Amino acid sequence: MEAATGTGSEAGFRARLRQRFRKWVNRRIPPSRSVTLDQKRLFIFPSGVGFFFVLCLFVMLLAAINFQNNLSYGLTFLLATLFVLAVLHTFANLSGLHIQAVRARPAFPGQQTEFELQVSRVKQREHFAVYFRFAEGSSARLNLVTEDSGRITLLAPVEKRGWHNPGRLRIESTYPLGLVRCWTWIDLDLHALVYPRPLASAELPGLATDQPDGAAIPVPGSDDFYGFRDYRAGDSLRQIYWKGLARGDKVQTKQYTAYADRSVWLDWEMFPGLAQEQRLSHLCFWALEFDRQGQEYGLRLPDQSIVPDVGERHREQVLQALALYGIDR
Amino acid sequence: MSKVKLEQQVPRNALVWIILALFLLVAPHVQRVPIWVLLVFAAAVVWRIMVYRGVWSFPRWPVKMGLIIAAFAGIMFSFRSLIGLEPTVALLLTAFALKLLELAERKDAYVLLFLGYFVILTVFLFSQDILIVLLCLFNTVIVTAALVALHRPGEHRFTFRPLRLASVMLAQSIPLMLVLFFLFPRIGPLWTVPIKSQAARTGMSDFMKPGDVSRLSRSGEVAFRVQFEGAVPAQDQLYWRGLVMSRLRGGAWSSLSHFAAPPDERRPSEPELVGEPLRYSVIMEPTQQHWIYSLRYGRSRDSGVVSAADYRLYRMSEIEDDYLYEVQTWPEAVLEPEISDWRRKVELRLPPDDNPRAMALAQQIASEAGDSREIVEQVLALFTEQPFGYTLSPPLLPERDPIDAFLFDTRWGFCEHYASAFVILMRAAGIPARVVAGYQGGEINPVNGTVIVHQFDAHAWAEVWHEGEGWVRVDPTAAVAPERIELGLEQALAEEGSFLADSPLSPLRFRGVNWVNQLRLRYDALTYRWQSWVTGFDSDRQYQLLTNWFGEFSARKFALVLLGAGLLVFAPVVITLLLQRKTVQLREMDKLYLRFCERLEKFGVARAAGEGPAQYGRRASAQLPRLEEQIGDVTNIYLGLAYAPADEEAAALKRLAQAIRRVN
Repeated sequence: MEAATGTGSEAGFRARLRQRFRKWVNRRIPPSRSVTLDQKRLFIFPSGVGFFFVLCLFVMLLAAINFQNNLSYGLTFLLATLFVLAVLHTFANLSGLHIQAVRARPAFPGQQTEFELQVSRVKQREHFAVYFRFAEGSSARLNLVTEDSGRITLLAPVEKRGWHNPGRLRIESTYPLGLVRCWTWIDLDLHALVYPRPLASAELPGLATDQPDGAAIPVPGSDDFYGFRDYRAGDSLRQIYWKGLARGDKVQTKQYTAYADRSVWLDWEMFPGLAQEQRLSHLCFWALEFDRQGQEYGLRLPDQSIVPDVGERHREQVLQALALYGIDR
Repeated sequence: MSKVKLEQQVPRNALVWIILALFLLVAPHVQRVPIWVLLVFAAAVVWRIMVYRGVWSFPRWPVKMGLIIAAFAGIMFSFRSLIGLEPTVALLLTAFALKLLELAERKDAYVLLFLGYFVILTVFLFSQDILIVLLCLFNTVIVTAALVALHRPGEHRFTFRPLRLASVMLAQSIPLMLVLFFLFPRIGPLWTVPIKSQAARTGMSDFMKPGDVSRLSRSGEVAFRVQFEGAVPAQDQLYWRGLVMSRLRGGAWSSLSHFAAPPDERRPSEPELVGEPLRYSVIMEPTQQHWIYSLRYGRSRDSGVVSAADYRLYRMSEIEDDYLYEVQTWPEAVLEPEISDWRRKVELRLPPDDNPRAMALAQQIASEAGDSREIVEQVLALFTEQPFGYTLSPPLLPERDPIDAFLFDTRWGFCEHYASAFVILMRAAGIPARVVAGYQGGEINPVNGTVIVHQFDAHAWAEVWHEGEGWVRVDPTAAVAPERIELGLEQALAEEGSFLADSPLSPLRFRGVNWVNQLRLRYDALTYRWQSWVTGFDSDRQYQLLTNWFGEFSARKFALVLLGAGLLVFAPVVITLLLQRKTVQLREMDKLYLRFCERLEKFGVARAAGEGPAQYGRRASAQLPRLEEQIGDVTNIYLGLAYAPADEEAAALKRLAQAIRRVN
C-alpha cells in the first residue's frame, strides 16, 4: 500500500511538473493562428549525435595531449569550434520561418484529420530538413531552397466527436551538422471538427415529412428522374449529367422527383430511449445515407433545425450540427 | 529503405560525398598501410555501390563478423603486432572501409564520418609538413560537407552545394580555433603512448661505425633549422655537436650512458663563461632520439633539456615531433680545465691488442714530441702529407685492426674514418680524446636568414684534452679535405659526383636552376615559420607568448582572455547570421496589392493603418462607387491568392495585375 502511494505521489509530482512546464510554454508561446519563429520561441540543445561527437572530440584531445601533437590539437579545436558554430547555424535554419494555419479537415472518429499549414520564410535564407509533428500523428518534412513558401499536410488520428485540438505542433531541425537540435512547440490554435461515429440502424423508426403532422413515409427509391438544372456548387458528383458534359454541354445536375417533393426530416425524437451519443451516431449514419442517395433531408435537434436540402455544403452543415451538439467551444 | 524512418534516410548525394571522403582520407596514409587494406577499400566501395543500385544486398552479420576477424588477422599478419601506430592506423582504415558496408541509416554515417575526422588526426602523427596539412584541411572540409549533405534530404543528384556551407563554417571556426590553440594549456602526456613509428629513423644513431655517417650523406632531408639572433658565424665555426662518444667497443664508438659515470661525474662542471653568448633557436625534425644539437658550449633554458657531463644537450623525452628549443652558446668557454681521474681513464681507454701498427706509430710520435699540442699537429700533418683521400664510398675495412688497414693501406675514407683514427692515435699517445658526432656547416637561406642543416651535413670530428685549455675541437677531415669544411660536402665531392646519389629528384640537386632553387628556399622559409609557430609550439613557447602579450600570468587572466577572445570571435558570426537580410522580402502578390493601394490613394482613399483588405475594399467601394466592380475584383483575387494552390498561383497573379490595371 505504501509503495503504491509512493509511486502515486511521484506520478503526481511528474504531472505537476509537466503541467508547470506546459504553463510556462503557454506563457512563452501563446496560441496564435500564425507564428514567426525567433529567439523567444526556439530552444536549442545538443542532440544525441552531438554528445557522441563531443565524446569523439574528447578522444581526439586525449590523442593530441598524449602524442604532444600540435596539429592534432588544432584539428580538435577546429572541430570543437565547428560544434559551437553549428548551434548558430541550426538556430538560423529555423529562425525566420513563418508558420500559418491554413485549414483543418473534418473527419470521423478512427480516421485521421488533415491539417494543412503554410510555411514561408521571412528572410531570403535556405532552410533544410525542417520536421513538423504533432504529439500523435504523422510527421512532415520541408525544405525551402528556391521557393519562398511551402505547404505541409499533417495527419492526426481522432477519436472523440467535437473539436479536436492536436496539441502543440513540434517543429525541429538538426541541419546542417546534426550536432545540435533546435526545436519549438507552437500552438496554431488548430481545431478539426470530428463528426459522430456513424452507427447503422436497420431502418428509420419513423420518417417525418415537410408537413409537421405528416405520417412516416417509407424511404423512397428516389429514382424518378424528372429533369436537369444547372450545376450548383455542393451538388453531389453522382448526380452530374456526365454524358452531357462529355458532349461539351455545360455542367448539369440530374434531378429526381425526390428532391422536389419528398424531403425527409431526421429527428432527434426518432430514437427514443437511446443515449445522446447513440442518437447522434444513428442520425449521422442516416444523414450520410440520404446524402449518398441524393435524397433531400433536414435535421431537427432539440436546439436547432436545418431545413431539408441536398449537396456537400448541406451535408457539412448537418454533420457539424451533429458533431457539436451539446458541446460549447 | 522503407524500414528506415524519414529522418534517418541517407540522401543519395550524401552517399557520394561519403565515398569521396573515404578515398581522400586514405590518400595520405597510402604509403603506410599494406596494399590489401587499399583493396578492402576498393571492394567495400564497389559493394556499397552495388547495394545502392539494388543489385546486391547489405552483408549479413555472419559475413560482417567474418570480415572483421579477417581484418584483424590481416593486420596481425602484416605487422606481426596489433600494437603500435601503424597497425592501429591500418586497423582504423579497415574498420572505416567495412563500416561503409553497414551504411544504411544516418546513424551509421555519423560513426563513419566521425571516424573520418579521427583518421585525419592520425595523419598528423606521421607528418606535419605544410602540404600534408593542407591536404588534411581539405579532407576536413570534405568530411564536413558529407555531414552537411547528410542533412539535406531530397538531394538525389550529386551537387557541390554542401561544400559551400562546410567551407564557410570551417572558415568561421578558424579564429576561435587559433585562440584555443594558443591558449589551451600544453600538459604532458597522461600515460605513455606506443612508440610512434616503426619506420626507419633518419639521422644520427647513438653509436657510430665506419660507414654510418657516409650513409646519411646520401640524404637531402633537413635535419634541423637554426635562426640566429645576430649574424650567422662563419661556416667553419658551425660545428653542431650532437653526440659525444667516449667508448670504443667492437670497432664502434658510442656515448657513455648517464649511469655509467659515478654519481659525482654525472653533472658537467660549470665552465667559466667568456664574452657575449651567441643566441639562436633550433627547430629539429623528429628523430625519435634524445639528443639535440648545439654549438659548443651550449646551454638551454627550455624545460626538459639537460646538459650531460660531456657538455652535450639532451632532452628527457624523445623528439617525436618538430621540436623548437633555444640555445645560448659561449664558443670561447674553457671546458673542464681540470680533468678528473675517472674522466681521464675513460677518455684514454682503448681495446687491448687492437691496431698494433697504429699504436706503435702513436707511441713513436708521442716520444718525439714535446707536449700534447705538438702531438696533435704531427698527426694532422701526417694526414696532410701522406696521400689520404676523401670519399663517400671508401674501400671496405677488415674486421680485425681496421684502423691499421685505413692508416697504412687504403687511406681513403670519410669523416668518421678520420675522426676515429685520430682519436685512437691520440689515446694511444696518452692524450684524452673522444669522437664527436653531429653536423657541420649548413645552408643559409637568404629568404629569412635561417641556417638549414641537411642530413648530408652529418659529420664526425674529435675533441682532445689539453692541460689548462680543456677540451679542444680538432677536425682531422679538415686536414685532408679543407673544402669540406669551408664549402660543404657538395664541393668536396664535386669530382666524385656522388653527392645525393640516392636522391635523384631532390630539389637540392637543382640548385643550379635558379627558379627551382628560389622556390625551394621560399618553401623552406615557410616551413620554418610553420614550425616555429605551429608544430614546434609547446608549453615553453606558450608561456613566452602569453607573458609577452599579457604580462605575468594567472588563471583568472587566462579565463578572461579566453572569454573575451571567444566573444570577439563569435560576435561577427552571430551578427551576420541574425541580421542576414533583415529587410523583409515582399511576396509578389503583396507588391501588386501595394500598387493597388497607391492607386486608390491617388483617388483620395488611403488605406488606414491596420485596415484589412476586405474592410478597405468595402470602404473604398463606398467612397468610389464608379470603381466598385474593379475594387471588388482586386480584393477578391488578392484574398483568394492567400489560399491558392501553388500551381494556380501564377495565373492568379496575372489576373490580379490585370485587375489592378483596370483601376483608373
